[in-house]
Amino acid sequence: MPEKLKVMVIDDEPIVGKRLKPALEKSGYEVEVYETGAGALKRIEEKDFDIVVTDVRMDEIDGMDILARVTAKAPRTKVIIITGYATIELAREALVKGAFDFIAKPFKPDDLREIIQKAAFALKEEQE
Amino acid sequence: MEIDKKNYTAEDIESRARRALIERPSFSIRSRLLLGFLLLFVLSAGAEITSIITLGKLQNKTQFLGVADKYTNEIQQARRFEKNFFLYSTDLQFVFDHVTTAESLMTSSEGELKAVLGEDNLQTLKLHLEKYIELLHDLRAVDAAEISSPQNQMIENELRRHGSEMISFALELSEKELKTVKSMFKWVKIIPLLFLLVLLILAIYMANFLNRQINRPLSRLMKLTRRISVGDLTPIMPARKYRDEFTNMNLALNHMMYELNRRQEQMIESHKLRAIGTLTAGIAHELNNPLNNITLTAFMLEEDYDNLSDKERLEMVRDLIKEADRSKNIVRNLLDFARESEIDTEHLNIEELVSETIKLAQNRIRLKGVKVDAAFPDNMPLIHGDRQQLVQVFLNLILNAVDAMSKGGLLKISSPHSDLPDFITVKFEDNGCGIPHHMLSSIFDPFFTTKSTGHGTGLGLSVTQGIIEKHGGDINVESEVGVGTTFSVSFPVAKIPASLEK
Repeated sequence: MPEKLKVMVIDDEPIVGKRLKPALEKSGYEVEVYETGAGALKRIEEKDFDIVVTDVRMDEIDGMDILARVTAKAPRTKVIIITGYATIELAREALVKGAFDFIAKPFKPDDLREIIQKAAFALKEEQE
Repeated sequence: MEIDKKNYTAEDIESRARRALIERPSFSIRSRLLLGFLLLFVLSAGAEITSIITLGKLQNKTQFLGVADKYTNEIQQARRFEKNFFLYSTDLQFVFDHVTTAESLMTSSEGELKAVLGEDNLQTLKLHLEKYIELLHDLRAVDAAEISSPQNQMIENELRRHGSEMISFALELSEKELKTVKSMFKWVKIIPLLFLLVLLILAIYMANFLNRQINRPLSRLMKLTRRISVGDLTPIMPARKYRDEFTNMNLALNHMMYELNRRQEQMIESHKLRAIGTLTAGIAHELNNPLNNITLTAFMLEEDYDNLSDKERLEMVRDLIKEADRSKNIVRNLLDFARESEIDTEHLNIEELVSETIKLAQNRIRLKGVKVDAAFPDNMPLIHGDRQQLVQVFLNLILNAVDAMSKGGLLKISSPHSDLPDFITVKFEDNGCGIPHHMLSSIFDPFFTTKSTGHGTGLGLSVTQGIIEKHGGDINVESEVGVGTTFSVSFPVAKIPASLEK
């Protein structure tokens, strides 16, 4: 059994974290949930995550700020952006800036699991 | 002039007004002024010419008076020598000399004499003179020695009679002429005074005329600009019988108002389109959050149904209900915002509306522990509007204020005197947290909110502004962080019962 992948979920809607934590844990990930960008950034400084899933639109520190910080600090980490309104421009901008992929609200737990799995696969391939 | 707006388009009304303006007979202010000044000139010239003629006549008269005087003098002189001839037998030639001079004077100014004395009198005068000369000739023929003969006596008597007749005639003539000259002098004095009087009357008339022709259209124009500034774009209809320089200006103004109206409609249309764009983005964002929460919760509930405790399942179902409710609210606010319903107008008392609204918000006010203090002056004029929508406006403003304040805060509602005539202002003054300066310009934008996520849709103030604008009113905001926020809402005072729709 390989070591569990560490996943961080950031969304200012509390229900998102509340539902995704058990859902992703069930899929075998170690999950930490944050409701503010500030809290998440603080944790990122302390610990490296394999995958960061973040909402793009949040007060003060938003998803793009998180993406910038994470790619700067740990380029290996895969960042998945959640967009409230799936505008192509925003998604493209996120991808150009180094996001692994994006997912548009509303999504099913399985949709996210699929993307996270792809990210995990990419991580594994990079390691080999 | 009132036009029944329902049956005509703006274009119809504009062309009707244009026709009405143009079809009047043309009588320009320029020609009216020209006519006025021409009249003035003719009058002045008339007075001047009368004066010149009178003075000319006067000159002739005084000259003639001189001649008449000389004539009288000659005759008197002749009569004195005549007397000397009879008393001292002096030379008769002296008498002849003077009488001849008098005769030549009479011949030279015969025309004037005729005009003054008349034909008959002149003939009599001539006759006397001729007779006198004839008698003198007779007298000369008679020998000086027979001076006291009866024949001589008869000649002498005749001579005296004619002589005295001539004198009295000459004196009468002078007197007559002097009278005319005097009366002429009187006229020469009176004419300028009369002319001054006429001039005064004419000047008053001209001043009046200028006032009517220029000032009235100008004040009409001023009223019009006031009317336009509050959004009344009804075209100008003719107010006078004749077309003049102001007609072209009125035509241009009518055209301008027509264009303004058209552009305004275009702008409203493009505004609507932009609002729809903002709305779409807003809906996507606002609605996607609760929808996502519902999707995630529902799927997880399904997935883990058997492994979850009753308590967990209940919590998830409650989340579903809460999020569904949130979606419902967003949609309802959206409908309020997009609603194109006609406003149902009636005469409304602002004070009543505000206290009605405070009652509606009472629960929130009490929960928050703030005070609301509403004080209005007596005899507030009524406004014209939709009760339901205005209550919504006041409710939005009161609830925003309540949300912005902490426990113990005070919301003051008052109606200060409005800067604009015929407007009522209602002021909502809170001592809450205030709005940062850079956000003030955005607060009326749809979906803009200062409240944290999930606590406001950002539609409240934009709905509020929409309703106020539909009522012909205006909303303004002043705010300082930490001091409080003041919203001022103005509505036009209801004057005549008229439909608000444009």
